Amino acid sequence: MSIRHWKKAAAAGVILGLIMMMAPVIAHHASTPFYDSSKRVEIEGAVTRFVFRNPHAFLYLDVTVGNGDTSEWQIELGAPVGLRRMGWTPDSLPTGMIVKASGQPSRADGSQGLCCVRMTKADGSPVLEGGRVEERTPAR
Amino acid sequence: MKPEGNNKELIKSEAIGYTKDLLVKITVGTSVLVLLMLYSIPKLGAQGIDDHIPDLAGIWDGSPRARPVNGENVPWGEDNFPVLNERAIAYQQVWEEIMAPKYDCQPASSPAIQYDPYHMLVTQWPDRVLFRYEKDDQLRTVWLDGREPSATDFSIQGFSVGYYEDDVLHVTTTHFVFDVAGFDDYNGIPSSSQKVITEEYWRDGEDLKVTLTIEDPMFLRESTAYTTRWVAGREGYKLAAYDCDPESSRASVRFYPSKYK
Repeated sequence: MSIRHWKKAAAAGVILGLIMMMAPVIAHHASTPFYDSSKRVEIEGAVTRFVFRNPHAFLYLDVTVGNGDTSEWQIELGAPVGLRRMGWTPDSLPTGMIVKASGQPSRADGSQGLCCVRMTKADGSPVLEGGRVEERTPAR
Repeated sequence: MKPEGNNKELIKSEAIGYTKDLLVKITVGTSVLVLLMLYSIPKLGAQGIDDHIPDLAGIWDGSPRARPVNGENVPWGEDNFPVLNERAIAYQQVWEEIMAPKYDCQPASSPAIQYDPYHMLVTQWPDRVLFRYEKDDQLRTVWLDGREPSATDFSIQGFSVGYYEDDVLHVTTTHFVFDVAGFDDYNGIPSSSQKVITEEYWRDGEDLKVTLTIEDPMFLRESTAYTTRWVAGREGYKLAAYDCDPESSRASVRFYPSKYK
Protein backbone atom coordinates (compact mmCIF):
# COMPACT_ATOMS: atom_id res chain seq x y z
CA MET A 1 0.00 0.00 0.00
CA SER A 2 1.38 3.43 -0.96
CA ILE A 3 1.77 6.30 1.51
CA ARG A 4 -1.17 8.00 -0.18
CA HIS A 5 -3.35 4.96 0.42
CA TRP A 6 -2.17 4.73 4.02
CA LYS A 7 -3.11 8.39 4.53
CA LYS A 8 -6.56 7.77 3.07
CA ALA A 9 -7.04 4.68 5.21
CA ALA A 10 -5.88 6.53 8.33
CA ALA A 11 -8.20 9.45 7.60
CA ALA A 12 -11.11 7.08 7.03
CA GLY A 13 -10.26 5.32 10.29
CA VAL A 14 -10.17 8.58 12.22
CA ILE A 15 -13.48 9.71 10.72
CA LEU A 16 -15.06 6.35 11.43
CA GLY A 17 -13.65 6.42 14.95
CA LEU A 18 -15.02 9.88 15.57
CA ILE A 19 -18.40 8.91 14.19
CA MET A 20 -18.51 5.84 16.38
CA MET A 21 -17.49 7.76 19.46
CA MET A 22 -20.08 10.43 18.88
CA ALA A 23 -22.92 8.13 17.93
CA PRO A 24 -25.10 7.64 20.99
CA VAL A 25 -26.31 4.08 21.24
CA ILE A 26 -29.78 2.98 22.11
CA ALA A 27 -30.80 4.30 25.50
CA HIS A 28 -33.21 2.94 28.05
CA HIS A 29 -32.40 5.53 30.69
CA ALA A 30 -30.18 8.51 31.24
CA SER A 31 -26.81 7.79 32.83
CA THR A 32 -26.52 10.97 34.90
CA PRO A 33 -28.78 9.92 37.81
CA PHE A 34 -26.59 6.89 38.39
CA TYR A 35 -23.09 7.90 37.24
CA ASP A 36 -20.95 11.01 37.78
CA SER A 37 -19.94 12.41 34.42
CA SER A 38 -17.44 14.81 36.06
CA LYS A 39 -15.23 11.92 37.17
CA ARG A 40 -13.29 9.20 35.42
CA VAL A 41 -12.13 5.87 36.87
CA GLU A 42 -9.85 3.28 35.28
CA ILE A 43 -9.91 -0.38 36.20
CA GLU A 44 -8.47 -3.65 34.93
CA GLY A 45 -9.88 -7.02 35.83
CA ALA A 46 -11.02 -10.48 34.84
CA VAL A 47 -14.49 -11.08 33.46
CA THR A 48 -16.63 -13.09 35.86
CA ARG A 49 -19.99 -12.61 34.13
CA PHE A 50 -21.35 -10.99 30.99
CA VAL A 51 -25.13 -10.55 31.12
CA PHE A 52 -26.15 -9.85 27.53
CA ARG A 53 -29.81 -8.96 28.08
CA ASN A 54 -32.05 -5.99 27.31
CA PRO A 55 -32.50 -3.24 28.28
CA HIS A 56 -28.76 -3.00 29.12
CA ALA A 57 -25.92 -5.49 29.00
CA PHE A 58 -23.78 -5.65 32.15
CA LEU A 59 -20.21 -6.81 32.52
CA TYR A 60 -18.87 -7.95 35.90
CA LEU A 61 -15.15 -7.82 36.60
CA ASP A 62 -12.99 -9.04 39.47
CA VAL A 63 -10.45 -6.31 40.05
CA THR A 64 -7.39 -7.03 42.18
CA VAL A 65 -6.84 -4.42 44.85
CA GLY A 66 -3.71 -3.43 46.80
CA ASN A 67 -3.69 -6.26 49.33
CA GLY A 68 -4.24 -8.92 46.67
CA ASP A 69 -7.93 -9.34 47.33
CA THR A 70 -10.41 -9.01 44.50
CA SER A 71 -13.31 -6.64 44.35
CA GLU A 72 -16.28 -6.81 41.97
CA TRP A 73 -17.08 -3.97 39.57
CA GLN A 74 -20.19 -3.72 37.44
CA ILE A 75 -19.99 -2.07 34.01
CA GLU A 76 -23.14 -0.93 32.25
CA LEU A 77 -23.15 -1.29 28.48
CA GLY A 78 -25.69 -0.59 25.74
CA ALA A 79 -28.81 -2.51 24.77
CA PRO A 80 -28.06 -5.89 23.20
CA VAL A 81 -30.74 -5.20 20.58
CA GLY A 82 -28.38 -2.48 19.34
CA LEU A 83 -25.07 -4.08 20.28
CA ARG A 84 -25.89 -7.12 18.16
CA ARG A 85 -26.08 -4.90 15.09
CA MET A 86 -22.48 -3.87 15.81
CA GLY A 87 -21.32 -7.45 16.04
CA TRP A 88 -21.50 -8.07 19.77
CA THR A 89 -22.69 -11.47 21.02
CA PRO A 90 -23.03 -13.06 24.47
CA ASP A 91 -19.60 -14.62 23.80
CA SER A 92 -17.79 -11.37 23.08
CA LEU A 93 -16.50 -11.15 26.68
CA PRO A 94 -15.73 -14.69 27.90
CA THR A 95 -15.21 -15.48 31.57
CA GLY A 96 -11.58 -14.98 32.56
CA MET A 97 -10.80 -12.48 29.82
CA ILE A 98 -8.78 -9.52 31.12
CA VAL A 99 -10.16 -6.13 30.12
CA LYS A 100 -9.25 -2.54 30.84
CA ALA A 101 -12.06 -0.04 31.25
CA SER A 102 -12.27 3.65 32.01
CA GLY A 103 -15.56 5.37 32.56
CA GLN A 104 -17.84 7.37 34.80
CA PRO A 105 -18.11 6.01 38.36
CA SER A 106 -21.41 5.25 40.05
CA ARG A 107 -22.80 7.82 42.47
CA ALA A 108 -24.03 5.78 45.46
CA ASP A 109 -21.58 5.63 48.36
CA GLY A 110 -19.45 2.50 48.37
CA SER A 111 -20.78 1.26 45.03
CA GLN A 112 -18.45 0.10 42.29
CA GLY A 113 -20.07 0.73 38.96
CA LEU A 114 -18.98 2.26 35.70
CA CYS A 115 -20.78 3.46 32.64
CA CYS A 116 -20.01 5.07 29.36
CA VAL A 117 -16.74 3.17 29.20
CA ARG A 118 -13.77 3.06 26.93
CA MET A 119 -12.90 -0.62 27.03
CA THR A 120 -10.05 -2.68 25.58
CA LYS A 121 -8.36 -6.03 25.97
CA ALA A 122 -5.31 -6.14 28.26
CA ASP A 123 -3.04 -5.27 25.29
CA GLY A 124 -5.07 -2.17 24.42
CA SER A 125 -6.78 -3.62 21.34
CA PRO A 126 -10.58 -3.36 20.88
CA VAL A 127 -12.64 -6.02 22.64
CA LEU A 128 -14.49 -6.62 19.41
CA GLU A 129 -12.33 -7.25 16.34
CA GLY A 130 -12.56 -4.09 14.26
CA GLY A 131 -14.90 -2.58 16.82
CA ARG A 132 -14.74 0.59 18.77
CA VAL A 133 -13.44 0.92 22.28
CA GLU A 134 -15.67 3.82 23.33
CA GLU A 135 -18.83 2.12 24.50
CA ARG A 136 -21.36 4.90 24.45
CA THR A 137 -22.12 8.52 24.97
CA PRO A 138 -24.40 9.44 27.85
CA ALA A 139 -27.99 9.82 26.76
CA ARG A 140 -28.39 13.45 27.75
CA MET B 1 -108.03 -40.93 -19.88
CA LYS B 2 -107.34 -37.93 -22.03
CA PRO B 3 -108.59 -35.45 -19.49
CA GLU B 4 -106.29 -37.10 -16.99
CA GLY B 5 -103.43 -36.73 -19.45
CA ASN B 6 -104.29 -33.08 -19.96
CA ASN B 7 -104.34 -32.58 -16.22
CA LYS B 8 -100.91 -34.14 -15.92
CA GLU B 9 -99.56 -31.88 -18.67
CA LEU B 10 -101.18 -28.91 -16.96
CA ILE B 11 -99.67 -29.84 -13.61
CA LYS B 12 -96.25 -30.42 -15.25
CA SER B 13 -96.47 -27.07 -17.05
CA GLU B 14 -97.44 -25.27 -13.81
CA ALA B 15 -94.61 -26.99 -11.98
CA ILE B 16 -92.08 -25.88 -14.59
CA GLY B 17 -93.47 -22.35 -14.44
CA TYR B 18 -93.25 -22.34 -10.64
CA THR B 19 -89.67 -23.65 -10.74
CA LYS B 20 -88.70 -20.96 -13.25
CA ASP B 21 -90.25 -18.28 -11.05
CA LEU B 22 -88.43 -19.67 -8.05
CA LEU B 23 -85.14 -19.74 -9.91
CA VAL B 24 -85.62 -16.16 -11.07
CA LYS B 25 -86.50 -15.07 -7.54
CA ILE B 26 -83.50 -16.89 -6.08
CA THR B 27 -81.20 -15.43 -8.74
CA VAL B 28 -82.51 -11.89 -8.25
CA GLY B 29 -82.46 -12.28 -4.46
CA THR B 30 -78.91 -13.62 -4.46
CA SER B 31 -77.77 -10.85 -6.80
CA VAL B 32 -79.32 -8.19 -4.57
CA LEU B 33 -77.69 -9.80 -1.53
CA VAL B 34 -74.29 -9.95 -3.22
CA LEU B 35 -74.60 -6.34 -4.32
CA LEU B 36 -75.57 -5.30 -0.80
CA MET B 37 -72.59 -7.20 0.63
CA LEU B 38 -70.21 -5.67 -1.90
CA TYR B 39 -71.60 -2.25 -1.10
CA SER B 40 -71.27 -2.74 2.64
CA ILE B 41 -67.72 -4.23 2.67
CA PRO B 42 -65.89 -0.90 2.46
CA LYS B 43 -68.01 0.40 5.33
CA LEU B 44 -67.29 -2.66 7.46
CA GLY B 45 -63.60 -2.35 6.57
CA ALA B 46 -63.49 1.27 7.64
CA GLN B 47 -62.65 3.26 4.55
CA GLY B 48 -62.79 2.97 0.79
CA ILE B 49 -60.16 3.74 -1.79
CA ASP B 50 -61.16 7.39 -2.11
CA ASP B 51 -59.79 8.35 1.24
CA HIS B 52 -56.20 8.89 0.10
CA ILE B 53 -54.62 6.18 2.17
CA PRO B 54 -50.87 6.74 2.56
CA ASP B 55 -48.47 3.81 2.31
CA LEU B 56 -47.12 3.57 5.83
CA ALA B 57 -46.36 -0.14 5.82
CA GLY B 58 -42.90 -1.51 6.44
CA ILE B 59 -39.96 -1.49 8.83
CA TRP B 60 -39.07 1.98 10.06
CA ASP B 61 -35.82 2.93 11.76
CA GLY B 62 -36.06 5.41 14.63
CA SER B 63 -32.45 4.94 15.76
CA PRO B 64 -29.88 7.76 15.71
CA ARG B 65 -29.84 7.30 11.92
CA ALA B 66 -33.16 9.16 11.99
CA ARG B 67 -32.85 11.56 14.94
CA PRO B 68 -31.10 12.31 18.23
CA VAL B 69 -31.38 9.72 20.96
CA ASN B 70 -34.19 10.31 23.44
CA GLY B 71 -33.47 11.81 26.83
CA GLU B 72 -34.41 14.38 29.40
CA ASN B 73 -34.32 17.21 26.88
CA VAL B 74 -35.34 15.29 23.78
CA PRO B 75 -37.89 15.53 22.25
CA TRP B 76 -39.04 18.05 24.83
CA GLY B 77 -37.07 21.29 24.71
CA GLU B 78 -37.58 24.91 25.64
CA ASP B 79 -40.17 25.42 22.93
CA ASN B 80 -42.47 22.51 23.74
CA PHE B 81 -41.76 21.50 27.33
CA PRO B 82 -45.16 21.15 29.00
CA VAL B 83 -46.58 23.68 31.42
CA LEU B 84 -47.16 21.64 34.58
CA ASN B 85 -49.90 22.25 37.12
CA GLU B 86 -49.26 22.16 40.88
CA ARG B 87 -50.19 18.50 41.09
CA ALA B 88 -47.52 17.55 38.56
CA ILE B 89 -44.95 19.73 40.31
CA ALA B 90 -45.74 18.01 43.61
CA TYR B 91 -45.14 14.65 41.97
CA GLN B 92 -41.83 15.90 40.57
CA GLN B 93 -40.70 16.97 44.03
CA VAL B 94 -40.93 13.44 45.41
CA TRP B 95 -39.76 11.87 42.18
CA GLU B 96 -36.61 9.78 42.01
CA GLU B 97 -35.40 8.19 38.80
CA ILE B 98 -35.49 4.71 40.31
CA MET B 99 -39.28 5.01 40.81
CA ALA B 100 -39.76 4.63 37.07
CA PRO B 101 -41.51 1.33 36.39
CA LYS B 102 -39.23 0.77 33.41
CA TYR B 103 -36.65 -0.52 35.92
CA ASP B 104 -39.04 -3.43 36.41
CA CYS B 105 -39.50 -3.85 32.65
CA GLN B 106 -42.85 -2.05 32.44
CA PRO B 107 -43.07 -1.06 28.76
CA ALA B 108 -42.84 2.52 27.57
CA SER B 109 -46.09 4.05 26.33
CA SER B 110 -47.18 7.11 24.42
CA PRO B 111 -45.79 9.73 24.03
CA ALA B 112 -42.37 8.14 24.81
CA ILE B 113 -42.43 4.92 22.82
CA GLN B 114 -42.77 6.77 19.52
CA TYR B 115 -39.50 8.58 20.23
CA ASP B 116 -37.52 5.65 21.58
CA PRO B 117 -34.61 5.05 19.24
CA TYR B 118 -35.61 1.65 17.93
CA HIS B 119 -37.22 0.11 14.87
CA MET B 120 -40.93 -0.42 14.39
CA LEU B 121 -43.04 -2.38 11.93
CA VAL B 122 -46.22 -0.83 10.54
CA THR B 123 -48.87 -3.07 9.01
CA GLN B 124 -51.99 -1.68 7.33
CA TRP B 125 -55.10 -3.81 7.21
CA PRO B 126 -58.48 -2.62 5.92
CA ASP B 127 -59.93 -2.26 9.40
CA ARG B 128 -56.83 -1.50 11.48
CA VAL B 129 -53.22 -0.33 11.52
CA LEU B 130 -50.73 -2.27 13.61
CA PHE B 131 -47.67 -0.64 15.16
CA ARG B 132 -45.18 -3.24 16.37
CA TYR B 133 -42.39 -1.63 18.40
CA GLU B 134 -39.04 -3.35 18.82
CA LYS B 135 -38.65 -1.53 22.14
CA ASP B 136 -40.36 -3.53 24.85
CA ASP B 137 -42.01 -5.88 22.30
CA GLN B 138 -45.10 -3.69 22.20
CA LEU B 139 -48.02 -3.85 19.77
CA ARG B 140 -50.52 -1.04 19.31
CA THR B 141 -53.67 -1.57 17.28
CA VAL B 142 -55.36 1.44 15.72
CA TRP B 143 -58.95 0.55 14.88
CA LEU B 144 -60.35 2.08 11.72
CA ASP B 145 -63.78 0.44 11.80
CA GLY B 146 -65.55 2.90 14.03
CA ARG B 147 -65.52 0.85 17.20
CA GLU B 148 -65.33 2.60 20.53
CA PRO B 149 -63.54 1.60 23.72
CA SER B 150 -65.49 0.02 26.52
CA ALA B 151 -65.04 0.86 30.19
CA THR B 152 -62.69 -2.11 30.56
CA ASP B 153 -60.30 -1.14 27.75
CA PHE B 154 -57.74 0.62 29.95
CA SER B 155 -54.15 -0.48 29.40
CA ILE B 156 -50.56 0.77 29.24
CA GLN B 157 -50.92 1.52 25.52
CA GLY B 158 -54.50 2.71 25.78
CA PHE B 159 -57.19 2.26 23.12
CA SER B 160 -56.54 3.71 19.68
CA VAL B 161 -58.96 4.62 16.93
CA GLY B 162 -58.18 6.33 13.67
CA TYR B 163 -59.04 7.26 10.14
CA TYR B 164 -57.34 8.29 6.90
CA GLU B 165 -57.81 11.69 5.39
CA ASP B 166 -55.81 13.37 2.65
CA ASP B 167 -52.89 10.94 2.88
CA VAL B 168 -52.66 11.25 6.63
CA LEU B 169 -53.43 8.63 9.27
CA HIS B 170 -55.11 10.32 12.22
CA VAL B 171 -54.99 8.43 15.52
CA THR B 172 -56.56 9.23 18.87
CA THR B 173 -55.64 7.18 21.91
CA THR B 174 -57.43 7.24 25.25
CA HIS B 175 -57.92 4.78 28.13
CA PHE B 176 -54.36 4.85 29.45
CA VAL B 177 -53.75 3.57 32.96
CA PHE B 178 -52.06 5.91 35.44
CA ASP B 179 -48.28 5.87 34.99
CA VAL B 180 -45.96 7.60 37.44
CA ALA B 181 -43.52 8.25 34.58
CA GLY B 182 -46.10 8.33 31.82
CA PHE B 183 -45.21 11.64 30.26
CA ASP B 184 -41.86 10.74 28.77
CA ASP B 185 -39.83 8.33 30.93
CA TYR B 186 -37.27 10.98 31.87
CA ASN B 187 -38.70 13.95 33.70
CA GLY B 188 -40.71 12.51 36.55
CA ILE B 189 -43.98 13.74 35.12
CA PRO B 190 -46.86 11.31 35.59
CA SER B 191 -49.75 10.73 33.24
CA SER B 192 -53.32 9.94 34.19
CA SER B 193 -56.31 8.06 32.82
CA GLN B 194 -57.28 11.41 31.28
CA LYS B 195 -54.25 11.39 29.01
CA VAL B 196 -55.20 11.76 25.35
CA ILE B 197 -52.65 11.28 22.61
CA THR B 198 -53.36 12.36 19.06
CA GLU B 199 -51.03 11.39 16.24
CA GLU B 200 -50.86 12.28 12.59
CA TYR B 201 -48.74 10.02 10.41
CA TRP B 202 -47.74 10.88 6.87
CA ARG B 203 -45.09 10.11 4.29
CA ASP B 204 -42.53 12.78 3.51
CA GLY B 205 -40.64 11.35 0.56
CA GLU B 206 -38.89 8.23 1.84
CA ASP B 207 -39.44 9.18 5.49
CA LEU B 208 -42.33 8.50 7.83
CA LYS B 209 -43.29 11.43 10.01
CA VAL B 210 -45.57 11.93 12.95
CA THR B 211 -46.83 14.92 14.84
CA LEU B 212 -47.85 13.82 18.31
CA THR B 213 -49.91 15.90 20.70
CA ILE B 214 -50.46 15.11 24.37
CA GLU B 215 -53.09 16.50 26.66
CA ASP B 216 -53.65 15.48 30.24
CA PRO B 217 -55.63 17.98 32.32
CA MET B 218 -54.73 16.08 35.47
CA PHE B 219 -51.09 17.21 35.16
CA LEU B 220 -50.65 19.58 32.20
CA ARG B 221 -52.04 23.10 31.97
CA GLU B 222 -52.15 22.87 28.18
CA SER B 223 -51.42 20.41 25.44
CA THR B 224 -47.98 20.14 23.88
CA ALA B 225 -46.60 18.41 20.81
CA TYR B 226 -43.54 17.22 18.96
CA THR B 227 -42.84 16.10 15.41
CA THR B 228 -40.35 13.39 14.56
CA ARG B 229 -39.49 10.99 11.79
CA TRP B 230 -38.37 7.47 10.95
CA VAL B 231 -36.19 6.52 8.02
CA ALA B 232 -36.78 3.35 6.01
CA GLY B 233 -35.29 0.31 7.72
CA ARG B 234 -32.34 -1.27 5.99
CA GLU B 235 -33.36 -3.97 3.51
CA GLY B 236 -33.87 -7.33 5.14
CA TYR B 237 -33.95 -5.96 8.68
CA LYS B 238 -36.20 -7.92 10.98
CA LEU B 239 -37.35 -6.76 14.39
CA ALA B 240 -35.41 -8.42 17.19
CA ALA B 241 -37.07 -9.71 20.33
CA TYR B 242 -36.52 -7.31 23.23
CA ASP B 243 -37.28 -9.77 26.03
CA CYS B 244 -36.63 -7.26 28.81
CA ASP B 245 -34.72 -8.95 31.61
CA PRO B 246 -35.75 -7.80 35.12
CA GLU B 247 -32.24 -8.34 36.53
CA SER B 248 -30.58 -6.26 33.81
CA SER B 249 -33.34 -3.69 33.98
CA ARG B 250 -32.75 -3.12 37.68
CA ALA B 251 -28.99 -3.66 37.84
CA SER B 252 -28.07 0.02 37.94
CA VAL B 253 -30.67 1.01 40.55
CA ARG B 254 -28.25 0.36 43.41
CA PHE B 255 -25.98 3.08 42.02
CA TYR B 256 -28.60 5.75 42.61
CA PRO B 257 -28.09 7.88 45.73
CA SER B 258 -31.67 7.91 46.98
CA LYS B 259 -32.83 10.69 49.32
CA TYR B 260 -35.24 8.26 50.97
CA LYS B 261 -34.26 5.61 53.50
